Amino acid sequence: MAEGERSPRQLLVIGVVGGLVGIYLANYLNSMTNTAWFSFFAALGAVLAVFWGADAVRRVASYGLGTGVPSIGMLSLGAGQVAVLLGLAVAMNLKVHWAAPIIALILAAIIGIVNGVMARRVIKMNIAIMEMSMTEIAMAASLIILGFSTAIAGGFAFDLIMKYVVASGFIIAVFIVGGMAMLHPFNACLGPDERQKRTLNLALSTGFIAMLVAGIAAGAINGIQAAVPTMIIAIFGWIIYYLRFFADTKEDAAAVLSTGLLPKEEEVA
Amino acid sequence: MDPQMMVELGALTLVGAAALIAGVAEDLESDVGSQSNPNSQVQLAPQMGYLHRLYNKAISGEPASYPFYAAIGASTALSVLSVTGNSGLIGVFFALVAGAFVTSLIHGVYATTSYMGRLASQSRFGQPIYLDVLRTHTPVLMAHGFVANFSVLLLSWVLIAQHFSPFPFVVLAFIWGIALGGVGSAVGDVHLGTDRYYQDRPYGSGVNAAHSGSVVRKAESGLRNSIDCAWFCSKFGGPLTGLGFGLVVYLHFWKEVVVTSWWSALAGVIIVVIFVIMNTYLERYSRQRYGTYKEEAEE
Repeated sequence: MAEGERSPRQLLVIGVVGGLVGIYLANYLNSMTNTAWFSFFAALGAVLAVFWGADAVRRVASYGLGTGVPSIGMLSLGAGQVAVLLGLAVAMNLKVHWAAPIIALILAAIIGIVNGVMARRVIKMNIAIMEMSMTEIAMAASLIILGFSTAIAGGFAFDLIMKYVVASGFIIAVFIVGGMAMLHPFNACLGPDERQKRTLNLALSTGFIAMLVAGIAAGAINGIQAAVPTMIIAIFGWIIYYLRFFADTKEDAAAVLSTGLLPKEEEVA
Repeated sequence: MDPQMMVELGALTLVGAAALIAGVAEDLESDVGSQSNPNSQVQLAPQMGYLHRLYNKAISGEPASYPFYAAIGASTALSVLSVTGNSGLIGVFFALVAGAFVTSLIHGVYATTSYMGRLASQSRFGQPIYLDVLRTHTPVLMAHGFVANFSVLLLSWVLIAQHFSPFPFVVLAFIWGIALGGVGSAVGDVHLGTDRYYQDRPYGSGVNAAHSGSVVRKAESGLRNSIDCAWFCSKFGGPLTGLGFGLVVYLHFWKEVVVTSWWSALAGVIIVVIFVIMNTYLERYSRQRYGTYKEEAEE
């Protein structure tokens, strides 16, 4: 780990705590005030989960997965998706509505471990951190999906999510947009000179794009109450982190030229 | 012929035409961005010492990025429809345009991040980031992406309106996005990759591992850029992709309309068998005509 990097444990705490707090705040503030003004908290929590998940993708994919980066993202998103729907259903049947996000997170961890063990022991992919990474990515994915779904539906009750997110089809947008937000940063910054800070700034920027899409979809369900705050925060967040990514790019790149011919061989050190 | 089937066949014609346009635009878009298969060669080039001015856009592969765009577009269109409340023809049309527009903005942003990100991660090979490449190529990508996405949204909407599909709009657009990306990757990439990036190698020799990353970087005049690739591919690769995707969509729904109920599955199998026979004959004919693949001459 290079100097100034965030450690995996630090990111795990940011992702899990941030994700859960955001989802709970959105659900309970919305139901207490009987509005949808607070939906954006859930989306913000999901953005923090993207931040964590992107780093987990980065750690496992830097073992040379190459074209496998999108694949591992999609696999984990599928795990997260199953975990979320199962977790919500289990919470409803056990009548512990408040615990649904935590149950979903635990189920995602279990599915992630199984995926990791299968990949390492059965398929024999020789990646030392496979189990841990798959678990982390699946957990992050479940928080991303639940966070954006809560932002769209206004709460995480099973019937709300089923009616407004699954039946309306927005679930697939949450799946792919959240998944892209998580797997794209490392996929875009792939290379020997990849740097955590740049990749994670990009992760926040793509996370805010996903939040923008969630805001647009929330507009179809809860109108301007849900859509406007979510979209405004998303646009500002995106601008900030895209500019930071651009600044990091200028710092890291061999040269940023407005135009020009190819450098001569002697110019390339 | 009963009137219902006439209407359905009319809708099918529209769907097939939209699919054809989507295929052409999709392939050319991915050629400008050198996405999917050929991308690994462009990605590899600086590491092998071949610095270039090509665009490098890896938003996953096409089969993952196109459902991504389609899902965003469909969600936006639904949201716009719920705000305007106008489900007439003109309301739907503008909602789809709005969906494709928002998608193309997000597409452009993602494209710039992968160009800058990948090149910045190759700084030790001295590959510069050219901002004029970014400025000239990104709008071209966005424009082609807009056409492709609008066509996919239109296609999905017509299928929903004609009750061809049990899925919600967003899911259907997503599925056709996967199909479009898959066809674009399978059919179109061939003409971008080996035909355009390895024009200095004998035709049919394949790409020797030693030549990985040795992409053509100089054009007829000046340096090769990725818009040249779209120009080249618009002659054959693009239309062929359009034909491929149009046939997939049209034949699939044609058998559903004309051959009803479970027999349509049998009709599907027969269509696949006919294609397999045609392809076998085509390959045998070209092998006999052009001989086996030649070994590359020693340099």
